[in-house]
Amino acid sequence: MEGVKLIVTKTLSSHFQVTHTVHMSTLGPSGYRFNATFLGDRQLGPTEVFPTLLGDMDSAGSLNAQVLQLLGERLRTKAVFQAQRSRFVTWQFDAEYRGDDCTAALTLGNPDLLAGSGILVAHFLQSVTARLVLGAELVYHRRPGEEGAILTLAGKYSAPNWEATLNVGYGGAHASYYHRANEQVQVGVELEANPRLQESSFAFGYQLNLPRANAVFRGLLDSSWSVGGVLEKRLPPLPVTLALGAFLNHRRDRFHCGFGVTVA
Amino acid sequence: KSAPKSQKSAPKSPKNPPKIPLKIPKNQPQNPHKSAPKPAQNALKIPKKSAPKSPQKSAPQSKKIGPKIPKKSAPKSQKWAPKCPKNHRKMELFPVQMEGVKLTVNKGLSNHFQVNHTVALSTLGESNYHFGATYVGTKHLSPTEAFPVLVGDMDNSGSLNAQVVHQVSSRIRSKIAFQTQQSKFVNWQVDGEYRGGDFTAALTLGNPDILMGSGILVAHYLQSVTPALALGAELVYHRRPGEEGAVLSLAGRYSAPSWIGTVTLGQAGAHLTYYHRASEQLQVGVEFEASTRLQDSSVAFGYQLELPRGNLLFRGSLDSSWQVGAVLEKKLPPLPLTLALGAFINHRKEKFHCGFGLTIG
Repeated sequence: MEGVKLIVTKTLSSHFQVTHTVHMSTLGPSGYRFNATFLGDRQLGPTEVFPTLLGDMDSAGSLNAQVLQLLGERLRTKAVFQAQRSRFVTWQFDAEYRGDDCTAALTLGNPDLLAGSGILVAHFLQSVTARLVLGAELVYHRRPGEEGAILTLAGKYSAPNWEATLNVGYGGAHASYYHRANEQVQVGVELEANPRLQESSFAFGYQLNLPRANAVFRGLLDSSWSVGGVLEKRLPPLPVTLALGAFLNHRRDRFHCGFGVTVA
Repeated sequence: KSAPKSQKSAPKSPKNPPKIPLKIPKNQPQNPHKSAPKPAQNALKIPKKSAPKSPQKSAPQSKKIGPKIPKKSAPKSQKWAPKCPKNHRKMELFPVQMEGVKLTVNKGLSNHFQVNHTVALSTLGESNYHFGATYVGTKHLSPTEAFPVLVGDMDNSGSLNAQVVHQVSSRIRSKIAFQTQQSKFVNWQVDGEYRGGDFTAALTLGNPDILMGSGILVAHYLQSVTPALALGAELVYHRRPGEEGAVLSLAGRYSAPSWIGTVTLGQAGAHLTYYHRASEQLQVGVEFEASTRLQDSSVAFGYQLELPRGNLLFRGSLDSSWQVGAVLEKKLPPLPLTLALGAFINHRKEKFHCGFGLTIG
């Protein structure tokens, strides 16, 4: 977190919401962002509403657009477009089928029929027991003159208070552990090893919820000797949230700090 | 009063510390290249403190209760020291440039002694830790001022900043200041000020070096012509082996009930300031500076907005070098905390700094 950020969110109706973001940055360029979100009628869960149309435009002209739609009872589709200046850098299509105890998804990323390139990701997750989920993911990428595939196996175990995930594959291993100590404290640990780049990293983070003080504190400690913390405090009765953050990288001797105000 | 106490989640011991209400402003390190030292007075900024909330709690700590000390209100002609045109001392209502995170802890150990710790994590320069100690003596000139005052500030790299201010007699005040950069003395100055009935005369000797035959001598005189108008002059004489010179500048100040205007003219340039108190909450100031040596001039506009009921203080500034800055200070009762948020943007150089700080105590 660096620089000063002001976020103003305005809900125009139960279906439409716009957000203005002004970011004054100490490191890079400052800019203004405009975001518009349309939510449809079909609501499947507290956070899942279909169809969802999301658009984000930068002051430099970069666009980020997403469309989420529900086809049938179990099939969700998503399309994502990303443009920087006037060039499209990402266009991706996604389809996910949710069965009773399994999930299958297919993603097509940056398909280019003329150049014959693209990325295809297929993943399948099966709930073996009520707590254990096993699955696999296959990533196939193709460029003119080159193609390759990577298979990754994944497993997740959930207990009432904690959750552990493990991803092992040709590209490396990723393990994470999340623990909910009590209503206020949540702790997470993440380990990542990459045999190709021959490096591994470890991160420890925690979140402290203080609802009576209207504050949320998140802390982070990295294996690259990075320490950071972000404090978010709501300021009733105004619908304003103040966020203060600071990150210190001991190894590179760099310090960033910033604060942000979110209105509604 | 027990109901609000149960809601307090602050640490219990300093709950109502009616401690010494003395805030000594941090000594800004003086530019060693400046040819004239600042003949500014050491202002004892004493903030208003409300009466202790729980009288029965303060009984065991009775030795810590200081008198209720309102702001110092000396007659204006004695308070003002004309600024040397080479100095760039901004008025107090201009915001301070903030970058990085700063944590300040002030602890009053007794009625006479106060220490403060400051940890500054900087995004641009070096992070540092400062330790400061302030001692206020027993000789009371008035309910607001006590002498002698000893202020010391030590850096984690060993740089020291020390000041001793003492009232030698009822009209003469003297000050000695030292500043070192690591282990090298960069500033040592001694000051004497005489306050007559309607005039002030001061003599400052800066960095005197008898072996080398160098030093700076500043003499200034201020006469209160009418209750509103004060005129004066300042002579700066500097000497180095092989070179000596003197600069004379004339100064004038006019005070009205709600505004103050000052003019300083000299061989080195002109400096004009105008300060206006628009209402109890809003104060506005404009400063114009022209330097013949550097052949440039600058204008700065600043304002201060005080909302005591919201525990808020906001300072903004706008410069002729296209620099816009603001600092927001908010007290967070019931804890003795003050949060300061500041941001500065220099449009011409396209640089942006922001920072926040927390003061405890």
